[in-house]
Amino acid sequence: MLSAPCSTPFVRRVAAFVLALGFLFVSPSLLAASSPIVAVGVHEAPPKISFDAHGRPTGIYVELLDEIARQEGWRLQYVVGSWPENLDRLERGEIDLIADIALTAERRQHYAFPRVPVLSSWFQVFASKRQNIHSLRELDGKRILVLERSVQEQAFIRLAERFGLNPILLSVPNYPTMFAMIANGEADAIITNRYQGKWGARKYGLNDTEVLFEPNALYYAAAKGDPKHLLAAIDRHLLAWKEDQGSLYYDALKRLADEDASSALSPWLAIAGSGLLGFLLISIAIGVFLKHRVNVRTQELQQENAERRALQQRFMDIIEFLPDPTFVVDEHKRVIAWNQACEAMTGVKKDQVMGQGDYVYADAFFGHRRPTLVDLLDRPDPPAETSYTQLDRRENRIYAETFFSSPLTGQTRYLWAVASPLYDQDGRRSGAIEAIRDISEQRKMAEAVRASEREYRELVTLANSIIVRWQPDGRLTFLNEFGQRFFGYAASELIGRNVIGTLVPEVGSDGRDLKGMMAELTRAPHQFERSLNENMRRNGERVWVDWTNKVVTDAKGEMREILSIGSDITERIQAEEQIRLLNEDLRRHAETLEQRVAERTAELAAINEEQRAIFESASAGILLAKERIIQRCNRKLETMTGYDPGELVGQSARILYPDEDAFIRFGQEMSARLASGETCSMEQPIVRKDGSLFWARLSMCASDTHAPFKGVVGIIEDITAEREATEQLRQALEAAREADRVKSIFLASMSHELRTPLNSIIGFTGIMSQGLAGPLNPEQHKQLGMVQKSARHLLALINDVLDISKINADQLELVAREFALRPSIEKTVKLIAPLAEEKGIELRVDIADEVGKIVTDQRRLEQVMLNLLNNAVKFTEQGWVGIVCRQEGEGYLLTVTDTGIGIRADEIPRLFKPFYQIDSGLARKHEGSGLGLSISKKIVEMMGGDIGLSSEWGQGSSFTVRLPGRSQEETA
Amino acid sequence: MNNRLLVIEDNEQNLYLMQFLLQKSGFEVVAAEDGIAGLDLALQCDPLAILLDIQLPKMNGFAVAAELRRHRRLDRVPIIAVTSYAMVGDREQILASGATGYIEKPINPETFVAEIKSYLPEGLEAADDWTPHPRCRR
Repeated sequence: MLSAPCSTPFVRRVAAFVLALGFLFVSPSLLAASSPIVAVGVHEAPPKISFDAHGRPTGIYVELLDEIARQEGWRLQYVVGSWPENLDRLERGEIDLIADIALTAERRQHYAFPRVPVLSSWFQVFASKRQNIHSLRELDGKRILVLERSVQEQAFIRLAERFGLNPILLSVPNYPTMFAMIANGEADAIITNRYQGKWGARKYGLNDTEVLFEPNALYYAAAKGDPKHLLAAIDRHLLAWKEDQGSLYYDALKRLADEDASSALSPWLAIAGSGLLGFLLISIAIGVFLKHRVNVRTQELQQENAERRALQQRFMDIIEFLPDPTFVVDEHKRVIAWNQACEAMTGVKKDQVMGQGDYVYADAFFGHRRPTLVDLLDRPDPPAETSYTQLDRRENRIYAETFFSSPLTGQTRYLWAVASPLYDQDGRRSGAIEAIRDISEQRKMAEAVRASEREYRELVTLANSIIVRWQPDGRLTFLNEFGQRFFGYAASELIGRNVIGTLVPEVGSDGRDLKGMMAELTRAPHQFERSLNENMRRNGERVWVDWTNKVVTDAKGEMREILSIGSDITERIQAEEQIRLLNEDLRRHAETLEQRVAERTAELAAINEEQRAIFESASAGILLAKERIIQRCNRKLETMTGYDPGELVGQSARILYPDEDAFIRFGQEMSARLASGETCSMEQPIVRKDGSLFWARLSMCASDTHAPFKGVVGIIEDITAEREATEQLRQALEAAREADRVKSIFLASMSHELRTPLNSIIGFTGIMSQGLAGPLNPEQHKQLGMVQKSARHLLALINDVLDISKINADQLELVAREFALRPSIEKTVKLIAPLAEEKGIELRVDIADEVGKIVTDQRRLEQVMLNLLNNAVKFTEQGWVGIVCRQEGEGYLLTVTDTGIGIRADEIPRLFKPFYQIDSGLARKHEGSGLGLSISKKIVEMMGGDIGLSSEWGQGSSFTVRLPGRSQEETA
Repeated sequence: MNNRLLVIEDNEQNLYLMQFLLQKSGFEVVAAEDGIAGLDLALQCDPLAILLDIQLPKMNGFAVAAELRRHRRLDRVPIIAVTSYAMVGDREQILASGATGYIEKPINPETFVAEIKSYLPEGLEAADDWTPHPRCRR
């Protein structure tokens, strides 16, 4: 709908309708003609399938199919529909072909596919410009549109699962809806194949993201079995077209790739279209006339059907609405209703039972098929009835209770159920209904009430406390068994009598008049909720009872009775009196003892004073602790930790530690050391009173090494300043290292940038000197050679810089593998030969016969050999340069010797330093980065070998490389 | 049997250089200048081999190689990384992403074509269940 001008959707819809009608009504009238009719399902998928102003489909699939139909003599009828609609039509055989379908194994079951596809493409995510989506991860939680029942839908779900993403996938039936939704901001991204995506991206300003997945081929597909034998013809035409670049197929592909899928209709096509339209209209008129009567009758039948369905639907809605699980069976005991409550209770879904008989409903409740209440309506079934705890028949209904153990959830419930037969309007049995109610809760509650009553009764009668109930006027109404035994009365002797004069004596043993006591209690009951009273047994014996009194009021708040619970405390009262007397004695003895202690203390105080002076003047914090409780500490420790004088004494040493762990750790360390008489010393953050921390050095030793449990002496020094200095030093060092590393990475990436343009400089000069781009005259050849040489030199310099920066950044890595050393040496020598030849220097190669395989990084080893040989040739004006290889133990010895200028003894130590060249300065004669030897040394060292040299000024030099047979990388 | 190579390279000069050398040796060259266009052409041109740069717009060479290797039909086409990318582990990473070989830039014009040829499979049948790009005849 979106590809055409505004006025067209209506026109197109009408046209589509006409086409569809044409398919339905015209077919019989055309059967006379011999050309087969082929109905083709098309959906709007621009630019592959679009619709022109007349609603006629266009695009590559239509163009190709039109041509195939023309040649094969088919009459095409395009049936317009959404993608899922057309898939269903094809499956039902209502149409013969569908266009633009990807092949899957599952689809092969339902449709027939040709061998040759029309298009291939990738699926891709196109995102709204408002969303800044570039990668798969950014799709998490985003709203993504995808065509319903499409291959890309399944493919994307798999992709999202693989990466653990949870996008919100919205399925839509067609592309116009998809593009409209993304344009309105109702979604964040869409999934299409690239043809459509690029088209939509241009039209609706979508971003093509980097999320590209699953290449796919798109076909025409036929109804299953290809009854009209269409596919062979399609394959034949497509294959022929694909062989011919000038074919219709390539034209269509080009237009698709150019992406100007125009929906404009060429004039002749419009004329042809309207001609076809006229023809169709006449056909329709005839069709309508012939079909009229059939249609009238069909409508009547449809009307009746609709009413019956509506009635049935209403009945179903009522059943569905019922809160109790309810199901209905028809006269054949097939389930015709199964409501939501039923689903919820049994876990069995409606569609698992609907329309089924054979006791399928019993399965849900009993886990197997057997007669249930609805079956017992018709005939008794004693074995089935035993599974109900109650079974009651009233009129024509059955009421029953039963246990239900859900076969699915395993939960056990107690159910009440009722079943009733159903009759139709003629009074015939038409089925039965059963409703079930979960009464587990009610039963549980009733059981709980009964149990609670029983417990209460037992509590009161059997309690080991006195329980009394009496009226506000003092008359007793109840005394429990324990109370009867305790006071010596039988209940019958007491009930109805006043408390005063029976349980409460009129006069207390201290002479107090107790007659008014009950009146006081009833007047202000709250003061007497708990009271200790003197009471009296039947035999007159006085006892002490601890009473708890509770006033029971009626609904109006009036006092109805008092409930008193008491326990005998006579013995306790007597014991308390004895203790009081003993205490008196003890106090008298203690006074004399204290006198003696005071005298001794005064003596010790004098000695202590001297120690205190030392203790207080110390510059470190000092504490004495016993079992980790601070016994004493000096003022220095208090100021250091921010505590007030004396505040730390008596505290656990825990308050000085930042956390429990540190406290325990130090404790363990300490107990281990102190036992052996050592001093325990540790650096540890200490927490001040205000919560701030400082670093301290703790030193602890036992105050008496023979008995560490007696206590420890601790010295605590503030080492904040000391530590800060160390930390600053460390940071400075770290920063320097980081700067160095960043510099090296920068150098490495710069070298890469420099090499990109060099690629084309070296490449094109190479091409030109080879004459590939045309002949050169000798001068041009010579100059080009110079350009090439300079470029190669520049490249060598850049490579050296790259290598040295990798070395400095610790990023140089060796890849060790086994190779033969001899050919490797020979190859390197061959590379240097032209240079030596140019200078007239002889190259001598001497490789011992026993030299075989080596395991190391071949490329890097050749780099080292080339560097040494290159240096040797460079610094030798006449004579020879030689390379010698010998086996040495498990490894090899490589020596490069020359007869050049040599190296002065004092130069040798500096030789392997980076950027160093012997003849540095303006007069430098030998070009090079000065990095080669330094790089070579590092590489050889990484290989587990070493490099050394002997030289005599003016006589030449000899570099010796010692290599292990297997590099360390490999053996590690 | 075609003799088509796909070159995915965003530097115009380097692309021209490779194209020149390969065409001189009788290859047909199809070029893409970003990763996604490269994937499209890989699918639609059925190339004998793919020459792949690593630093590319839209989708880098590691991702392109990995995506190609995920799918039947595309997973056997040789991928030759041609790149001046020279940081540690690049070679290992591109090979792990699915590349068959690795040619470091600057390329040597005298040996370049021979190196490419050494990666080409023999007797590869053109696929017929994939469809061509208009630039590439089957």
